[in-house]
Amino acid sequence: MKLTLGWFLLFSTLFNNGYGWSSEIFSESLKIAPLPDGRVSTTFSFNTVLEGALPRDPRSLTSQDASQHYVLFPLTLGQILREYAVTELHLSLNAGNWNYERWGYPEEKGVGTGAELLAWMGVEGSESVDDRWKGLRNALAGLFCASLGSLDEQRTTSPDRAFFPQGMLPDWSGNVTHQLRHASLPSEHVCTENLTPFLKLLPCKSLSGISSLLNPHRVFDADWHGMGVHVSWLGAAGVQVRLTFQSVMDPLRYSRNTSRNWSLRSLFGHGIERNCPAASSSVIEVTLPDSEHPSLTPQPQTSSGSKATYDVLTAEKTLDVAMQWQDGFQYPSILNNSLPVSVTRTLRGFTQASGKLSLVLKNRRSTPQELIYLETMPWFIQFYLHTLQTRIDGHLRDDIVSHMSYNAAVAHSRPTTFQAELRLPPNSVTQLTLDVDKAFLRYTEHPPDAQRGWDLPPAVLIPLNPADPINSNNSHTYNEYRLGEPIYTSTLLVDVATPDFSMPYNVIIFTCSLVAFIFGSVFNLLTRKFVVLHLDANQQNN
Amino acid sequence: MENNPPPPNPSLLGSIILRLRERLGVNGNVSITRLQRRRAFVSMFTRHLSRLIAVLLVLGYFWLLALPSSFLGRWVYIDENALQPGQVSTYWNWGDVHAADKYLEQLEYLRDSNATSDQRAHFLMSEFSKLGLSSATQQYAFQSNMDYRNIAGTNTYAVLASPRGPRSEAIVISASWLSRTGEGDGTLNLRGVSTVLALARFLRNYSLWAKDLIFVISDGHLDGMHAWLNVYHGAQLSNLDAQPLELASGVIWTALNIDYPGHSFSHLGLFFEGLNGRLPNQDLMNCVQHIARGTGGVPVTVYDHLEWQDPAASPSELSFLPSPLRHSPEIKDFAHRAKTIARHIGYQARGRASGVHGLYHQFRIDAITVFAVPATGPHGFHALGRIVESSLRTMNNLLERLHASFFFFILTTPDRFMKIGSYLPSAILVSIAMMFRGLRCWVDARWCTDPPPIKKSDQSPQTNTSFTARSRPVLPAMIVMLLTHLLGVVLFFATRSSWFLNDQKLYAPALALATLTVPLALSQIPYPHDSKIAPFWLVLKAFNLCFASTVISIITVLNFSLAALLAVALGLPLTLSSPSTSKLLSWLKCLLYVFLASGWLFLYEETREAIWNWEILSVWFAPFVCLIYTPLVIQAAIVCTWTYP
Repeated sequence: MKLTLGWFLLFSTLFNNGYGWSSEIFSESLKIAPLPDGRVSTTFSFNTVLEGALPRDPRSLTSQDASQHYVLFPLTLGQILREYAVTELHLSLNAGNWNYERWGYPEEKGVGTGAELLAWMGVEGSESVDDRWKGLRNALAGLFCASLGSLDEQRTTSPDRAFFPQGMLPDWSGNVTHQLRHASLPSEHVCTENLTPFLKLLPCKSLSGISSLLNPHRVFDADWHGMGVHVSWLGAAGVQVRLTFQSVMDPLRYSRNTSRNWSLRSLFGHGIERNCPAASSSVIEVTLPDSEHPSLTPQPQTSSGSKATYDVLTAEKTLDVAMQWQDGFQYPSILNNSLPVSVTRTLRGFTQASGKLSLVLKNRRSTPQELIYLETMPWFIQFYLHTLQTRIDGHLRDDIVSHMSYNAAVAHSRPTTFQAELRLPPNSVTQLTLDVDKAFLRYTEHPPDAQRGWDLPPAVLIPLNPADPINSNNSHTYNEYRLGEPIYTSTLLVDVATPDFSMPYNVIIFTCSLVAFIFGSVFNLLTRKFVVLHLDANQQNN
Repeated sequence: MENNPPPPNPSLLGSIILRLRERLGVNGNVSITRLQRRRAFVSMFTRHLSRLIAVLLVLGYFWLLALPSSFLGRWVYIDENALQPGQVSTYWNWGDVHAADKYLEQLEYLRDSNATSDQRAHFLMSEFSKLGLSSATQQYAFQSNMDYRNIAGTNTYAVLASPRGPRSEAIVISASWLSRTGEGDGTLNLRGVSTVLALARFLRNYSLWAKDLIFVISDGHLDGMHAWLNVYHGAQLSNLDAQPLELASGVIWTALNIDYPGHSFSHLGLFFEGLNGRLPNQDLMNCVQHIARGTGGVPVTVYDHLEWQDPAASPSELSFLPSPLRHSPEIKDFAHRAKTIARHIGYQARGRASGVHGLYHQFRIDAITVFAVPATGPHGFHALGRIVESSLRTMNNLLERLHASFFFFILTTPDRFMKIGSYLPSAILVSIAMMFRGLRCWVDARWCTDPPPIKKSDQSPQTNTSFTARSRPVLPAMIVMLLTHLLGVVLFFATRSSWFLNDQKLYAPALALATLTVPLALSQIPYPHDSKIAPFWLVLKAFNLCFASTVISIITVLNFSLAALLAVALGLPLTLSSPSTSKLLSWLKCLLYVFLASGWLFLYEETREAIWNWEILSVWFAPFVCLIYTPLVIQAAIVCTWTYP
């Protein structure tokens, strides 16, 4: 099997090079980092580069596309990208809420709960961006068995101050501009039906190499897990597809709170048995904690500073990396991390008509911190911007929020997008509140299990690095180079006024009685003939 | 007058109808017959109205008395299919019981060293932190006119974030520092608190929680949790000064409060009444009792009432009955259910929470208290832990809020309850009787059956009686009603003032006397005796009865117990209020009614409790009594001050 694949690879490489096709490079890596609270963060990254390739020009959508012969590059994904002329794409499907306070920044930064889809697409051409966006999300929904199809225009926004492309955007020598489309679906439950199609995109599936560790029984028992698909154009280097899988596991839970020792076998059920022949590099990188010195087995091939590296291709099989701690574990009372700010977002109020969105931002640093604040809300949560209040230690301040941009919602069609710049004073706790109204929905608009309420997408806060005083005048484009890593808040659940769907019969009886009563009375009055009757005279007659 | 010819209808049906019409004597003009029939019905109705009212009143009161009967109840069942109670294996074992015992030792040490609220809270917080949970404390203080209670303290809470959960839903497991024994008389809930700590230690080992688990140890009995919940939901209370909560979690759907004051327990008691008569969804209670019996093997009772069959139960209180009746199982059953219903009415009518769980209901959270009825055995931490574990698993199954119409019930025994349809008519019947009586008074005020002899009635020689119309003094009656309600407002502000609360024994009689002067003063106002104007008292009585009846029927669906109590307290007295022939008798009657209206002033402890509940927990009972009940009875007293000429 290995031999056949090897010959096939050799043949196809020769074939591709011979006919001027771009070559493909696949590399895989796994980063393991023990976290201060005893958990272990693991990040799988599978990287395929289609060298020399260029994203499709949207103007060429009407003509026949060049045929796609890929060897390592995922064909199903490639076809979708070409079909809708997508330049850059980020899809993340996450389960759980990333705890920044305890775990610090994640390796892959898109950790918002549920599904999130971001795409940049060229504007010119016969087909509009929105049509292609619709096609894209439906195609991805089919590919990843996720409810991405419901990321419709009621959830789609274009927050161009918060997100910038990670790769480059080609202009196909014709001044083609790009547009951003962003949507998130917090109620998406990510599970094994999403992992299976994800693994199918990998050249070695989950049969060999690092991807063989992706055992659904173990990764879906993690405290947090998320998968991501990132497509970007690296310029001359070509088109890159990066598939990531991130999880936070708890060895303490697995060992009944006895130790935080872990091994690949204890985390994923088995070690790495054999190499992935398609991989040009296959690396496991273990982050070593600063203060304590746990022992690693087997001995890492290279170890520099706080990183120990294993080259899976040359390592002895079965490879089962393990970390042993000498002493028992006590939960640290104070968790210090590198996070510039910590954020808590809640929706206060318990009525079904209104509420108050509250955002508490803690700046722990002794320098002022600037942030971009992005809030996207479905239309049935209506913001009142004039009620936006910022308090520091209970005192109203009006110098915190600046550069607001606000796209008001349109009922039943468009969500709200609110972007602003916040400037947090050093060592401060800032509270931002905003009154919201909850709209009254049509009864057909309620989801199944209507009494659960609606999930609201997470807000995103992007810290800005300190400004360079030389060219700070051109703020909008300049911010792109100052953007730090985003912080996603937790999602919210909101109760809106909900009819009792479980008792339609009562409702039918009540309404029918009312209608019958009104109709009967009106009909009676309309059809009755009024005459004068002499009651007593009639009695005499009888 | 033309007669309708009989329709030529040869069909069988037609001939049957024809024969029926003949039998009923319908052979004249149909419209005239209909009018005559209607007139005959109305005259029969008015002739027998007094009897009908009596029948309705008797029926309503009997229905109320029959509530404990076994005919009116049905077995409990679980409506929400997602709950699936008792379908899981429980893993709580003796190791966890040992952990709970360890926590208990530390808590007892804190108790013995007279630790302050803050010290306790910091101990609890550090214990939660050692388990790896995010935990925090919250200080709070209530301002109140009633300075005899120290209403300040420190709550502790911890959040176990659900693995892979979005942090938007949460379940609360709480224990208050003071047990509900004696409605918070100072008994400590140490075992309840240690159960929560041990549960926190145990439950974090499982990755199956779909919702966050919030562990709350509230200070005091009700005040701590009230402060915590209000701040959690962002409700603004003017008299509450509390720290904001540092940790956030999601929407709370269900909550379980654990109360375990004794050394061991024999039964688990369910307490469920919330503030202002709100009840939790019955599914929650049914699940917990299903689990307690099935998984835990612990018998369940409503409150801490043990069934008479139980050897631990106190001997029968039915000593007033003759011996054969006293020992009959049916009578004992009836008495047991009656006791349960009476306690339920006691909590619900006064709007009292029967435990910490009652504070949750105002935020749409279904919550109950699981009360470990103190006994010498046989159950302890082991059974309680398993029951709570399994109950939490059941709540964890919920996909949406508990929402089926399971909020209206009277639980007679743990496994039998009364649906809304089987208890609601009792109060409604009384209120209908009052409405009929009021409307009767309204009609009587308009029409006088004794015509003045001067007037000739030449229009209708057939009828024996003739009616003369009188004008009804609507506006004066309305003004008097308004005055009495204003008096209620004054009374309310007087009772919640600090000088009243500091010296109740002095001011209660004074206020009662002040109340008495109102009807007496109003009766001194000269009223024109004119045959063309209806007597004032009759119009006032009509309004009084109609208003009282409306109040009762509206309250029935909000708080049935209060409506039932009003039906008893207002039904007969308001219907029977009438002027008397002698001045002395009328004054005596008035005194009696005023006592009925303001007698509660002399229930010193009860009044204080009601005002405390209003001040701290915003329970509407005290303002309701002052603003609605007392004025209504005073209006009846005003009616009684009249004398017949």
